[in-house]
Formats: sequence, structure tokens, C-alpha cells
Amino acid sequence: MNHQEIYSRAMKTKYILSALLVILAAGFMSCSKESQPKGNITLEWWQFWTDPSISPTIEKMVLDYEKAHPNVKVNRTDLTWANGHEKIVVAFSSGTAPDIIELGSDWVPEFSSTGHLADITDSVVNDTARFYNWAPVIYNDRIYGFPWILGTRVLFINRDLMNRAKYGQKFVPTNWPQLKEVCYKIDSLGKDVYGFGSNAAEKHRLYKKFLPFFWSYDGRIISKNGKYCVFSSDKAYKALKFYKELSDSCSMVDTQRRLEDAFLDDKVGVVISGDWLLKRIRNEKPDFNFTTTLIPGPKFPGKSFAGGEYLAVNAKSDHKAAALDFIRFVTNAENQLLFCKANYSANPSNKETTKDPFFADDINLQTFVVQMNSSQSPPAIPQWVYVEDIIETALEDILFNGAPMAERLYKAKIEIEKLLKMR
Amino acid sequence: MKSRRFTGWLFATPWIVTLIVFWLFPLLYSLYLGFTDYKLLNSSYSWIGFENYVALLSDHDFLLSLKNTLIFVIGTIPVTTIIALLLALLIDKKFPGRTIFRSGYFMPSITSMVVIALIFTNLYSRGGYIYLLAKIIGLSPPDNGFLLSKKTALFSVMAMDVWMSVGYYMLLFLAGLKSIPRELFEAAEVAGAGLWRKFMSITLPLLKPVILFIIVINTIKSFQVFVEIFVMTRGRYGSSTAVYFIYETGLNRFEFGYASASAYILFVIIALFSIIQFGLLRQEGFR
Repeated sequence: MNHQEIYSRAMKTKYILSALLVILAAGFMSCSKESQPKGNITLEWWQFWTDPSISPTIEKMVLDYEKAHPNVKVNRTDLTWANGHEKIVVAFSSGTAPDIIELGSDWVPEFSSTGHLADITDSVVNDTARFYNWAPVIYNDRIYGFPWILGTRVLFINRDLMNRAKYGQKFVPTNWPQLKEVCYKIDSLGKDVYGFGSNAAEKHRLYKKFLPFFWSYDGRIISKNGKYCVFSSDKAYKALKFYKELSDSCSMVDTQRRLEDAFLDDKVGVVISGDWLLKRIRNEKPDFNFTTTLIPGPKFPGKSFAGGEYLAVNAKSDHKAAALDFIRFVTNAENQLLFCKANYSANPSNKETTKDPFFADDINLQTFVVQMNSSQSPPAIPQWVYVEDIIETALEDILFNGAPMAERLYKAKIEIEKLLKMR
Repeated sequence: MKSRRFTGWLFATPWIVTLIVFWLFPLLYSLYLGFTDYKLLNSSYSWIGFENYVALLSDHDFLLSLKNTLIFVIGTIPVTTIIALLLALLIDKKFPGRTIFRSGYFMPSITSMVVIALIFTNLYSRGGYIYLLAKIIGLSPPDNGFLLSKKTALFSVMAMDVWMSVGYYMLLFLAGLKSIPRELFEAAEVAGAGLWRKFMSITLPLLKPVILFIIVINTIKSFQVFVEIFVMTRGRYGSSTAVYFIYETGLNRFEFGYASASAYILFVIIALFSIIQFGLLRQEGFR
């Protein structure tokens, strides 16, 4: 091989390598384009916060995000709780769902299990320690949503009725025997005064009031492997026995709204409720003499029910990375604080937000923050809507229709197990 | 001729298209869905034959809702019809303030069902006026109000339904009464017939077409009872009805296949009832 041949072969190799480099660079560029969109994009966001007190904050968040990301426009659509769920289901089934959807905690499994939500596990794995309550968005060990504004329930106590029942200013019940005693004493104050506010068979509500008692006994509904129902247990029996005793002997039994009305009218001494009642008291009866405390249990503190709002990305979205970026923005500590201040919400998902003086200086908000640490969500299974119904019907039969407890719990277990096998 | 026929079709087209798109197609499509396991969120579904129908016939919730619907139909229709007829007979007489009574009785029929249901929810609750009234007259209402008890929830909704619909049927009876020739009553009076005789021999036979109409439309309406249950009890305390079951299955659980099958069972029951009613009343000479 002469010098010229060697030179020409070297040149050829150089051209081939250059061409390969160009192809590879183009490939990398297209890859990075997919994860970090550069062109103008529009994100569709469906959300439920429409109250005039919070709407401007939501709007401000959107504007701030758009200002920081001039290539992104966020189209916000407000849904209502009356028909929002139906709209989301129809949108998913017709392929017209938005990029980002706000979902109630118990809705997530039905969408994640049917493949409608994007699996964001790899992108959020480092965030999990900084946020509360990921349980409702985990399906088959993968994560399908981001916690936003959460909610738990605590014990609300009417101080005036406690005073009339001769309790000291600082006393709060910390265990079940004390709770029972307080409720009995308040109940004995007069004909129209009740110790405890016990929920009637209201759909989607009754089970939320019973489960904290059940969980406080470390009860489980579904076995750890998800195959069996373990609801009909000694724990359920004991919890239900206590709850029924409270309900039968010293309670007003009514809908949640009417129980809260009665609580504010000094007719019910103790109710279990969420932060919406704090907001209501602040707006309607700021001088109302009350206190909040953690849910009592057989041992202190008892467990409470955790739910809330989650943000999820549509699996078919063309802008998953941008959608997730927007979700991170909305759920960052600063924006969650803005939100909670505007809405008087007690449970932001971002743990850093809860360290702000807004929460630390407000004893009632602090109760909610602390309660979140011992709160639990129902099992995140797609069949939950049916399981919930079976549990509520069983509770209705036992609490209000005189069904034998052990027998009815066993029947519920059989029904749930059948469901787990069928679907 | 051809052009006239074309014009006719052209004018009828909007209605025909509406009929096909919004009535016939959904009707046939839901019949088809009843034989599938279609769930709105699942991307695929398959033909499962009569499985939905077989499952429904052993579904305790569905059977209970059917039973409640039948109780609703059998319980409300005779009561509504008799009260409406009595009111119409009273209002038909001339007395001062008759118009006020007529408008008053009719008023609930033109008021939103949701509004009435919400008002009655309060009236029935503990401390509500009906609850207190029941206590005053010595009855023992359920501790937590009428709607929060399995014994009274459904019957309370039925009572409200009678109160609400009686005015409308009263008006239909009034129209029927007006169409009876006065000479017949005059002739009967001359022959010495009393009030009861006139009612049994003239009023009732001549009101038969109206009675038939009222019973048929009230049966169909009562089989479809939904709003009252949705607003007042949400199907709790054993008060679920067939349409509420369909709503729950279709629009809460999105099991369209199962919901369609239950809707068709209800459809068949309503059709059977209507056919039987027409048949029986024809046999009795109601034409």
C-alpha cells in the first residue's frame, strides 16, 4: 500500500466516523428533545379547586409557571366533584384526557390499573422521602401519581360542653376508655345533647369513620400478598364493638354535615372531622370554643384516615416531562404554602411546607400535621370501590339493622374474597 | 309527485336523524353491550352471551332494587290515583277559593324534584317538622329520622312521591270530569240517584280512559324512580331502586355491560306491566 492509498483510506475512515458522529449527535438531540421539550407546548390540566378563596392562587401558580417557562402554556379546566369523576373516565376511554389530572386518592388505582396513567416511578423515586402518603398511588410497586394536598381526620371537641361536663380546660381523651367516658358524660348533660357524632349510612363516608378504629387495632382488610381478605378478624370485632357501643349509647347518628351543624350548635360534644370544619369554624363561628386532638386508640395515638388530592400524568400525553415539571412546580414547598394559606388547608403533601410558622403557630393545623404521621389510606387496589361498598353495607347492617356482628363480618370477608378472585 | 315526496322526506330528515342517532342507536347498542363485559375504562371487551343476565338474577343488590321498585309501584299508584280522584271531585265543585286550592295542589308538580326532595329530607330528619309531628301525635318515629332507618326510608320516599304527583293527576281527572255531559247527572238525579250511585254509574265508567292513562303513565314513571332516591337516601337503608342500581353500576362503577343488561331487564318488566294493564283494563271494558 503506497502513501496515497494509505491517505485515501484514512480520509475514508474519517468521513465514515464523521458521518457516524453526526448521526449519533442527531440521535442524542432527538432523545433530549423528548425529555426536555424545546418548542412551544400546551399542557392541559384538569383540576377541582374552584372555590373563590383558592381559585386566584391556582391561577397565580399557572401564570408564574408560564412566566418561568415561556415556551409552555397551561390550559386549566375546572371540574366539579358532582361530575368530575365521570368526565375523567369518559375522557380516558375516548382518548381525550388532558396531560395532567387531579385525582382523589381512591380514584388513582382504577386508572393506574387500566394503564391510563403514566408510570413516573423513575422520575420521582428521590422525592418519596420529602412527601407524605404515597400509598394510594402505588400499584404493582410502581408510582402513578404525585401527592398534592392531602387530608386526614382528627377529633374535634366542644370545649363548652366539656366544661359543663366538669372537665378541666386542658383535658383531652387520649385512649378509647377516656373517649367513651367523655362522650357518656356529655351525653348525660341533657335531652338534646349528645356525646359523640356517629355517621349514618352515608355512602363513601361511613367506612372512613370506622376504619380509624379498626386500624388503631392494627387491623388489615386485605392480606399483604393482596390475595385474601382478612377483614373478619378479632381486631375488626373489637373495634366494631367499641364503635357500636359509642354509636348506640351516647351518639347522635346523622349525616356528616348535620353532625357538624349539631357540633357547632353545642348539641354534640365530640366529632371526627377534617380540615374543612376548621375552615367552616373560622368563617362562620370564629368565637366557637373548641379544640382538636389526635384520634385516640387502644394506645395513643390512634390511627386516622388519610386521603387527598393527587396529580397524575396521562399515559398518552405527548408532554410527559413537561407535565411532571409542572407538577413539581405546583407541589413545591412555596406553592403548597401559598395554597394552604389561601384555603386554610392543614395537610400539604410537601413535608418542608409543614415546617412553616403558618402550621407551627396554629395549634389546630398542627394537630392535623401530627395526625398525618399516624394516618393510613385504604388498600390501593382497583376493586376498592366494590370493597368499600361491601364494608359499608356490612357496617350499615351491624350498626343500624341489628345484624349479628361476627356473622356479618364473615359474610363481608367472603364477598370481598370472591371479588378479589373474580376481577 | 316525486318532488313532493322528496320534500316530505327532507322535512322529516332532522327528526329521523335525531331518532336514529339519539334513540335507536343507543337502544340497540346498549342491547348489544348487555351481552358483553364492557367496562368504560378497559380498552377491550368481549362477547359473554347471557352471563350478565345470569349474574343479575343472583345479584342480591339487583334483586333488592327490583323488589323495592315493585313495592314503590304497587304502593304509590293506587294511593296517588285515589287521592287525585278524590281531590278532583272536591275541586270540581264550585266554592270560593277553588282556584287557590287547584293551583296549590298542582304546585308540587311544577317544582323541581331535587328541591322537593331536599326539603323533605329535612322534614323527615330528626327534629324536622314531620318527625316532630309524628312524635306529637304519639307515633314513635325512628331515633335518627325517617330516612336513616331501614323500616321507613323507602316508605318515606314513597309518601313524598304521592304528595308530589297527586296534583298533576288531579288535573287530568278534572279534565276528564269536565268532559262528562252534565245531562247524565241531571237525568240520574231525576231518577232519584244519590251521590254514590251517580259516582259509580256515571263518573267512574266515563273516567275509565283517564284512569287507564293515569295508571299506565304512573306505572312507567314509578318504575323509573331515581331522583328521589339519589337525593334523599343514595340507595342506603335498603331503599335502592332499579334505576338507581343501573346508575350506580353504569355511572359510578362504569360497568356498562352489566348496567345495560339490568336496564333491559327493567325494560322488559315495564313492557310486560304495560301490556298486562292494557289487557286487563280492556277486558273490563275500559276503552
